[in-house]
Amino acid sequence: MKSYCMMLVLFCCSITVALAQEKNVTGNVTDQDGLPLPGVSILVVGTTNGTQTDFDGNYSIMANTGQTIRFSYIGQKTMDKTVGTSATINVQMEEDAQALEEVVVTGYGSRSRELSTSAISTISTEKIEAFVPSTSVDNILQGQAAGVQVTAANGRPGQTAFVTIRGIGSINANTTPLYVIDGVPVNSDFINNLNPNDIESFSILKDAATVSKYGSRGANGVVLITTKRGKTGDAKIIFRSSYGFAERIPDPFDLMNTSQKLDLEKQFADLGFNAAQSLPGASADATERARLIALDTDWEEELLRKSQIQSNSLSISGGDEKMTYFMSLGYDKNTGIIDRIDGFERITARLNSTYQAKEWLSVGTNISLSRNTTDLPRDRNNVQNPFRAMYDYNPYDPLYSRNPDGSIVLDDQGEPVYNPTRSGFPIARALETEPEENRNFLIVGSLFTDIKISDKFTNRFSVGATNNRFNRTARSLAGGVLNTIVGDANFPGTQTDETANTFQYNVNNLFTYTDTYGNYHNLSASFLLEYNEDIYTDFFASARGFPSPNIPYQDVAAEATASGSSEERRILFSQGLFVDYDYDSKYILSASVRRDGSSRFGSDNKYGYFYSGSVAWNIANESFMDESFVNDLKLRASYGTSGNQNIGDFNYLNLLEFNTYNGNTTAVPIGVGNPNIQWESQAIMDIGVEFGLFNNRINGVVDYFKKNSKDLLLNQPLSQTIGDEDNSILANIGEIENSGIEVSLNADVVRAQNFVWSIGGNVSFLDNKVVSLVNGDDIISGDFGYNILREGEEINSFYTVKYAGVNPANGEPLYYDLDGNITNEYSAGFNTILEGKSPYANIEGGFFTSIHWSGFGLRADFVGKGGNYIMNFQRQSGISIGSINSNQRVEAFNYWKQPGDTNVLPSPLFQGTADQDSDRWLERGDYIRLRTLTLDYTLSNKLLEKTPIDRIRVFATGQNLFTITEYNGDPEIGIGSAESSDPSDPDDSFIPGAFSLFSYPQTRSYIFGVEIGF
Amino acid sequence: MKNKLYIYCLASLFATSTFVSCDDELNDLQPFTEGNPETFFNSVSSFQNGLDGIYSQFWNYYSAPASGLQGIPDILSDNVILSQTGRRSNEVYYDYRYNPNTGGAISLYWSEAYEAVNAANLVIGQIDNLADGPEKDNIFGQALAARAIAHFDLARIYAMIPTQSADAANSPGIVYLKVEDGDTGDPFAQPARETVASNYTEIIGDLEQAAELIGDSNGEGRLNSDAVYAMLSRVYLYNGDYQLAINAANQVTTSIVDAKIEGALLAVYEDTSNEGVIIEWSVNTSSESSFNNVGVLYSQTTPPNTVSEYVIDYEFFNNLDLNDLRTEVMQFDATNEDNNYNAVRKFLGETGQVNGRVDVKVLRAAEVLLNKAEAQFELNQANALETLNILRNARYISYTGGENGLALEDAIQYERRVELSFEGHRFFDLKRRGEAVKRSNNGDIQDGSGTQPEVLTLPAGDYRFQLPIPIDEINANPNIAQNANY
Repeated sequence: MKSYCMMLVLFCCSITVALAQEKNVTGNVTDQDGLPLPGVSILVVGTTNGTQTDFDGNYSIMANTGQTIRFSYIGQKTMDKTVGTSATINVQMEEDAQALEEVVVTGYGSRSRELSTSAISTISTEKIEAFVPSTSVDNILQGQAAGVQVTAANGRPGQTAFVTIRGIGSINANTTPLYVIDGVPVNSDFINNLNPNDIESFSILKDAATVSKYGSRGANGVVLITTKRGKTGDAKIIFRSSYGFAERIPDPFDLMNTSQKLDLEKQFADLGFNAAQSLPGASADATERARLIALDTDWEEELLRKSQIQSNSLSISGGDEKMTYFMSLGYDKNTGIIDRIDGFERITARLNSTYQAKEWLSVGTNISLSRNTTDLPRDRNNVQNPFRAMYDYNPYDPLYSRNPDGSIVLDDQGEPVYNPTRSGFPIARALETEPEENRNFLIVGSLFTDIKISDKFTNRFSVGATNNRFNRTARSLAGGVLNTIVGDANFPGTQTDETANTFQYNVNNLFTYTDTYGNYHNLSASFLLEYNEDIYTDFFASARGFPSPNIPYQDVAAEATASGSSEERRILFSQGLFVDYDYDSKYILSASVRRDGSSRFGSDNKYGYFYSGSVAWNIANESFMDESFVNDLKLRASYGTSGNQNIGDFNYLNLLEFNTYNGNTTAVPIGVGNPNIQWESQAIMDIGVEFGLFNNRINGVVDYFKKNSKDLLLNQPLSQTIGDEDNSILANIGEIENSGIEVSLNADVVRAQNFVWSIGGNVSFLDNKVVSLVNGDDIISGDFGYNILREGEEINSFYTVKYAGVNPANGEPLYYDLDGNITNEYSAGFNTILEGKSPYANIEGGFFTSIHWSGFGLRADFVGKGGNYIMNFQRQSGISIGSINSNQRVEAFNYWKQPGDTNVLPSPLFQGTADQDSDRWLERGDYIRLRTLTLDYTLSNKLLEKTPIDRIRVFATGQNLFTITEYNGDPEIGIGSAESSDPSDPDDSFIPGAFSLFSYPQTRSYIFGVEIGF
Repeated sequence: MKNKLYIYCLASLFATSTFVSCDDELNDLQPFTEGNPETFFNSVSSFQNGLDGIYSQFWNYYSAPASGLQGIPDILSDNVILSQTGRRSNEVYYDYRYNPNTGGAISLYWSEAYEAVNAANLVIGQIDNLADGPEKDNIFGQALAARAIAHFDLARIYAMIPTQSADAANSPGIVYLKVEDGDTGDPFAQPARETVASNYTEIIGDLEQAAELIGDSNGEGRLNSDAVYAMLSRVYLYNGDYQLAINAANQVTTSIVDAKIEGALLAVYEDTSNEGVIIEWSVNTSSESSFNNVGVLYSQTTPPNTVSEYVIDYEFFNNLDLNDLRTEVMQFDATNEDNNYNAVRKFLGETGQVNGRVDVKVLRAAEVLLNKAEAQFELNQANALETLNILRNARYISYTGGENGLALEDAIQYERRVELSFEGHRFFDLKRRGEAVKRSNNGDIQDGSGTQPEVLTLPAGDYRFQLPIPIDEINANPNIAQNANY
C-alpha cells in the first residue's frame, strides 16, 4: 500500500509540472488524404505537456519557441515540428506501413496482428460504452465478435451471461470461457463487478494457436480483458454521468381482464369442468360480477415498476516518459423492475500504473476494488416469484384485501393488508418480509516486473490475485409471509448470514528469447512456469427470535439455530513452451506445448499435455502484391489441443457426507467416485483468411473451424438401486463435435471530411453433433428430461411427446405414439427425439451501422440468432385448462367448442390429456433485436476554447428497443427458472435457453448521459 | 550486463523456489468436509454416525414437504379431499394421473429408499471393524432392520403386496440388495426385479436377524427391539403370516397412549410425549429448524387463512363417533377465502406452532394392536375383539362394541382407518386387502358442499395401486421391467 501512496504523489507532481506555460500553439492535423485526424497524440518533447486532436483534427498546446512538438498516431509516421514564431502549426501525417501493425493481446503477451497466426476477435471501447452501465460485461460481448455465443441469463441487474466460444465444448463440465483480466484469471461469476468504463478491449481467443497456451483451461476459449492504461502526456480527466430507466419488454400477447376471466370461468363451469365450479365466475350474479369488475387489477402494475438506472464514473490518466497511470472511480445503480426491493448497486475503483524503474526493468501494478450489493428475489416456478405472480394472480383479486363493504382491510397498525389472493401467497408482502441481500467485495490485483536481460533475453514475473468476499443476509421477518407458514411461533423472525471468501492467486514466470538470424529469420521462444491455487472458505450462521425487524443482527436473536463452515481448494501447476518464427513477416510458424497438473484428478491422471501448431502466410507482403488494392491478405491455419477440468473436486473418490439427524451427526455416502476420470480433451482445427481492401476501407475475417471434444465427463446414469446420491457416475465417455464458419466484415461506406458512415457485422454458422456416448446409449438430459443426447444428433435435442393437434370432431387432444400413429392417449412412453430441434442456435451474430456527421453520431447495434428452439412452459402455464384458477392469456378462449373447429386449443373436458408436456409448447427462438441505439453529440472545440474543458459529449441510448420474433414471449432466455434449474448447481442438468419459466425478464431501457473531458 | 544477469539469477531463484513445492501441494490435497467411506467406520461412534445417516434417509422421504410418505398414501385414498382453494399440489396423485415421468413421490421414494439401503449396506459390510459384543450387535441389528424397512417401503409402493391378490406372490417385486450376498460394489450393476415372495422372505429374514441382535433402547428416532417386532407384526400381516404377526405383536412391550388422560394423545402429535410411539423419524426443531416440515403436505398457514392442500373427507369426519377422543388430534376448523374446512390437525406443528415441522410417526403401539387384532380375526381366533377393545378402551369415552363376524372385521378396519388416519397407511391397507378406494361424493367444504373429487373410485386390482417405476430407472437400467399398464 505504501508504494501506492508514493505513486499517487508522483502523479500529482507530474500534473502540476504540466501547468507551466509560455505560448499557445494551435493547428490542424490531417491524414495523407487531407482528412482531419482526431485523437492524434501531441507532446512537447522533453516535457509531460501533451494533448490530443479533437474530432475535427484541431489542437492547441502551450510550448516555448524552439521546443519540439511531436505528433504521433497509430498507423502514421511520427512527426516532429519545432515551434517557430508562428503560433499555428498544421501537420499532414503520412501512413507508416510498419506502424500500421495493430497489436493484439494474445495468451501470455501480445503480438502484432500481422504476425498472429491465430483467430482472435477483439472488441474495443466504443462498443462497450453504448450499454446500460450496470450490464455485466459478458453481456456486452453479445453479437460483437464472430464465434462468441452469448445468451443473456435473464434480465436481473448485475446478472452475468452464458458465454460460449465456438459452440458447446462440453456437456457436463462448465462451458464458460476462461476470463483473464490483465493477466489474472478471474472467476466468471465475478465479472459483473467490473466497471465497463475501465475496459480498453476484449480479446477473444478462439483457436488452438492461442487457447492451447492455456492448456487445461483453454477448451472453452479465453476472454482476455485489458483495462485502460495511462498514455504519456497531459493528464486526461473524463467524467461520465448518465441516468435512465427501464421497463419490462411488453409481451406479444394479452392477459385477461376481470370480465374476460369471469367469462372463461363461467364457460368452463358450464361445461362441467370440475375445478371451475368453485371459482367466482361460476357463481357470480350480476352484482357480484360488477363488484369484481370494479376491482380489476393489473398485477404487473402492482408488482413491477420502471427501474431507475444511474451511473457516474470518473477517470484520470496520463504519464510521463517513465511512468503512466490510470485511475478511475465508478458508481452504478439499477433498481431493477421489481417493486419493493432495492436492486443492484456497484462501486468500483481502479489504479493501473507502470514505471520504468531502470532501463532494463519495468514494473507495474493493476489494482481494482469493487463492491456490489444486490437482492435476489426468488426465481422459482410459483407465485413466490413476482414474475410468475403477475401472470397468475386473478385480475379480480386486488392488491389489498377488501372488507365486505368494499373498503380496504387494515391491520392493527392501520396499514392495508395485502391480499393473499386465491393462490394463498401475497408476493407483494413477501418481497417486504423476506428480504435477501447479497454483497460482493472484489479485489483484483497484479504486480509484474519485466526484465530486459539483454537484447535477446527478457523475463516477465508476475503475481496476480483475486479475492472476492461474498456476504449474504437472508431474513424472514416476524409476522411475515414465510415466518407464519414455516417459522416457529415462539421465535418470530429468522435470519441467516453467510460469508464466503474466494481467494485465487496465480504466480507465473515467462522467460523469453528473441533473435533474428540473417535479416529475415525471426525467432522467439518462451518458457512458462505457472501456479494457480483457488481457496474457497465459507461460513454461515442462522438464528431465530428477533425483537424487531429493524435490527438485522444475530446478536439480538433469542436462539442460534445453525452454523457451519467449509473449505474448498484446487490447484493447477503448469509448464509451457511457446515458439514463434517468421520469415520476413511473410511466412509465420508458431507452436506450443504445455503440461498441466490438476488436483481434480486421481494420482494416475493428474497430468495432461496440450500442444498446438499454426502457420500463416502474409500474401500482402509478397512483392507481387505491391501496388494492389489489397492492403492486407493473410491465410492462416492452426491445429492443437486443449483441456477442460471444470468439474467438481474429488470426483475420483468415494465420499461420505456429514449432516445431522435429530441433532446427531450423520455419515452418509454421497456418491460413487470414479478413480479413472481425466481431462476432457479437445482438438480444434482452424483455417482462416484476413483481408483489408481499398485503403482498408473494407476489411474482414473468415474462419472455418472444426472442434472435436472428447473424453467428455458425463454423468453416466446409474441404476438408482445402487443408492448413489445423484444416481450417476462421472466418466470420460462422450465425444461431441462443433464446426462452423465465422465471417466478420467492416466497411466505411462513406469517408468524407465531415461525414463517415460505417457498417459492419459478424455472423457465425454453427453446427454440432454428438459423436459418441457410453455404449452408444442415449442420455436423457435437461432438468425436466426433455432433452436427449443421442449419437449422430444435435447436442441436447428436444425429447418429448409429439402433439398431433385437436380432434375436430370432439375437441380431444391427439398425440403421436412411437409408431407415428395418432392416438387420443398420452403417455410419457411416447417421448421421442425431435431431430434437428435443440436449444442451440445454428446462426448467430450481430451487425451495426454508424454515422458521424459534424459532431453528431448515431449508432445502432443489432443482435440476433436463429435455429434454436425453446420449450415455452410460460405459455403452457398461461393457457392450460388446469390453470383456470389462475389468470389466463386471452388466447385461452380459443378452445374447441363445436365439431369442425380447427386451429383451437383442446376442450376443457379433456384436461387429463390436454395439459401434458409435449412439443405443443416447443417454439422457434429466432429473433433479431435492436440491442442498442445511441445518438450522441460532441461539442465542437471552438465553443470550448475559452474553458478548461476539452470535450463534451451528450448521448442518449436505448437498449432492446425492438425485437423481431415469432416466439410467444421474450425469446432472449438463458435461465428458465433458477430454482428449478440452477446453472451453478453441478447436480442440475442445466441447459441455457432450453425453456422459459418465469425467470427475471429482459428489460428495455433508455439512458441519457453526458461525458466531459478535461 | 553482469549486473542484470545477477539480478535475473536472483529472480529465477525466487521463481524456482516458489514453484519447487508445487507438485507436492498438488498431490497432497484431500477433501475438506467429506469423509472416506472406506476408512471412516472404525469405532462405535462412527458406526453410530452411519446409522443416523440411514435414519436421515428415511426422514428425507417420509417428511418431504411436497411428497412425504407420511401423507401421500392418504392423498391416494379416501381420508382426504383436495381443497379447491389450495395450491392443488399432488393433484396428479390425487386424481391417479401419474405415469413414469411424474415427479414428486414416485421418483423420490425409489431414489431415497435405495440410498437408505446403500447406507445400511455400507454399515453392514464393515461391521466386523468392531469388536464382537453387544455394541456391535446393536449396531448390526439396527442396520439390518433399517435395510429391511427401506426394502419393505419400496416393495409395498412399487410392487404388489402378497395378500393383495392371488397372483401377487409371483409378480415382480423390487431389487433386494444385501452386501453380504455380493449384491453391492459394482456401480454399473443393472439388477432385475425379484418376485414379491422373494422380497418378503428377505425383508422378514433381515428383521428376524435384527431382532436377535438389536438393543432394547437406542433413543428417540432410532430403531430398537420393540421397533423390529412391531415392524415384523406389520410385515407378517402384509405377507399373510397371521400367527407370526400375532407372535411378533406379543413381543412388543410398548403400550398405547391413553387418550382418556387429558392432552395425552395431543402431546404425542405435538412431540411433547413419545408415549405409544415405537418407530418415528425425528427432527430437532431447534438445531434443524430449516429441515423438512412434513405437515405442509396438508396445509400451510398464512394468517388469517389456513391454505389447505387436502382436508378431511366430509363423510369420514362426520361419521366419527362423538365419543371418539381422537377427533381433537385429527381435525381443526380452518378458513380460507371465506370457506370453512375440516383441516388435518396431525402434523400441524409442535405446541403452539403451525409450521408443520414435527417428528414423523411411522409405527405406533396402536397399530401393533390393530395388526394383532386383524391377524387374530383372520385366524378366527376368539380374542380378536378383546385385542381391539384394548385400543377402544383408550380411545372412547364409551362405545358399544361386542361385534363378531363381518361386523368385527369392519370394526377392526374402521378403527385402523381412524387411528392411523393421515399417517400414511390408508392406501396400503386398502391395497393389501385387495379393496377399492371409494371416495364419498361430497365436496371439500366443511358442510360437504363444494367440489367433489374428480375420481371417486380406484377399483380393486387397478394397476395404479402399484406406482410406476420412475422413468430414470427404466432409462438407466434396461433390466428393470416396468409395472403393467404404464
